[in-house]
Amino acid sequence: MNEELDSQLSAMFDDELPAAECELLARRLSRDDALKARWSRYAVIGAVIRSERGVVLQSAVAGRVNEALTREPVLVAASGPPWRGRMAGWTRLVAGAAMAAGVAAVSILWLRLQASGMGQPAEMTVASASAPAGQRTVSNASDSFVVPPASTQPAMMAVPPTQLADYVVAHSAYSWPISRGSLLSALMVGEPGSGSSAAVSGRQASGGHGHATHPIR
Amino acid sequence: MRPTRFGSESFGALALVLAVALCATAGAAEAGRSASHSRQPTRPMQWLQRMNHALTVLDYEGTFAHSQSGKVQMLRIIHRVKHGVVSERLQSLDGSGREFIRRGSKLTCYLPDKRVVLVEHMPPMSSLLGGIPVINAETARFYDIREAARMRVDQHETRLITVMPRDQYRYGYRLWIDRTGLPLKIQLWDARKRPGGHVIEQIAFATLKVRSHIPDSAFKPGMSTAGYRWLRTDAPAPQSGKGRMPAWNARWLPPGFHMALSAAQVMPGSPGPVDHLVYTDGLASVSVFVEKHAEPAPRGPVVESARMGASYVFSTFVDGHRVTAVGEVPARTVRSIADSVRAGKASLARLPAGPFAHAPQP
Repeated sequence: MNEELDSQLSAMFDDELPAAECELLARRLSRDDALKARWSRYAVIGAVIRSERGVVLQSAVAGRVNEALTREPVLVAASGPPWRGRMAGWTRLVAGAAMAAGVAAVSILWLRLQASGMGQPAEMTVASASAPAGQRTVSNASDSFVVPPASTQPAMMAVPPTQLADYVVAHSAYSWPISRGSLLSALMVGEPGSGSSAAVSGRQASGGHGHATHPIR
Repeated sequence: MRPTRFGSESFGALALVLAVALCATAGAAEAGRSASHSRQPTRPMQWLQRMNHALTVLDYEGTFAHSQSGKVQMLRIIHRVKHGVVSERLQSLDGSGREFIRRGSKLTCYLPDKRVVLVEHMPPMSSLLGGIPVINAETARFYDIREAARMRVDQHETRLITVMPRDQYRYGYRLWIDRTGLPLKIQLWDARKRPGGHVIEQIAFATLKVRSHIPDSAFKPGMSTAGYRWLRTDAPAPQSGKGRMPAWNARWLPPGFHMALSAAQVMPGSPGPVDHLVYTDGLASVSVFVEKHAEPAPRGPVVESARMGASYVFSTFVDGHRVTAVGEVPARTVRSIADSVRAGKASLARLPAGPFAHAPQP
């Protein structure tokens, strides 16, 4: 392979090659096996370097990150104290329902199992039910906004957790890969609420949620 | 997993796809350059595009620490795209032993702590390769996209690309991207708090390897499921009505947001079709779901809000319909969009600018 071609290839990988040349080279790549192999090697250089590394950051990174993040305000607080308790049901039930489409689906099933086996989980409360009537302003540092007046209705969920999780799954398909990926892990450790194991061993979902759950083994 | 075979035919083909993708990006960037007469400003955007492609087309394997709200957990991810089918395996390394394995639209969740295996089907539309926001010059109107530094992360050369919002309607990102395009570290930033903002969430890869070949065996669970209880759900009905005239619309959107999708779809948990609207500024996106409420509509406003990972959910009732907005943007943005949803075609100009009326405009 001549030097010029080699340098062009290198430049393309480094994103330094002008578009016109890049296109020509890509065309050539498609019919030149030797060049293709060369490109592959470039692409793999980074991987080779990285493959020498083990999981060395685990405890150090975890510790440092933890330290950094514990200094950060928890975002839920942005809605202000009056909301906090009322959000507990949802927040805990779907805590970490992931943007990663696949992963989020787990919570759907968990939630369905909970709903079918145990009825509405005890911690599922209504945003409006426990709130005192009247409008209030919630302050949080420099921000403030108006919380709508609370309803005096008996407890009613605005969105059942099952549907909420379905919404998240549907939304995730249209998220930026970064946003999707950033939530991949949230569900992994997130327990959808106490009593989930009892729910799993409980009776199966009826068609009530329009989506039957049944054993396949 | 079998040892990596670099330079294989499959990788060659993949590399070619990537090369062409990069060229397409470079072409777009070239056009931008000719307009601005400056090469540098478009480069960070090229890195973002490269990252988008890398995350969706590359086969990779990595371990990472996910940190949020003071909690850190370690996970392992394996990602492969073969013949257009996405396979993904996510394992907890922190003791529960849980594994989520996805192949195409089928998701299998192994929960050894519960001795349960769950099988669920994804909606047909949720392809990882579909619906990826495109980063272009318009995006730069609302985000300050810069290459802030070149630095080593865990001995790898990376470029730190910062994507900071120019207003308070969205979050910012800090991305440490290596030469393959994969991000070794990702931070989600709330830039509203001064000085400098703060980290909401972080993913830091301890290892991240591009693989030329990931065998099927890599997507098998690492446990025996003998004696486990298997549960599955039926596949959801296909969506319909994509591209139709939306019956509902948000009357207020943050600057730069536009509708990317309007579809009526049948969702597993809903008895009737649900209107799904997606609004995006190229990076952040907000979905709005409108569903007829089966029971009598509640008297007075009933609102509910929740946080899921870095996203917020806000739900309210409008004309006997439940309107729910979900998005990876600040809570008030989600809420303002949900509150503005009405039946009929959007006419953004006639409506109030929402609670951020005095926010700085880009």
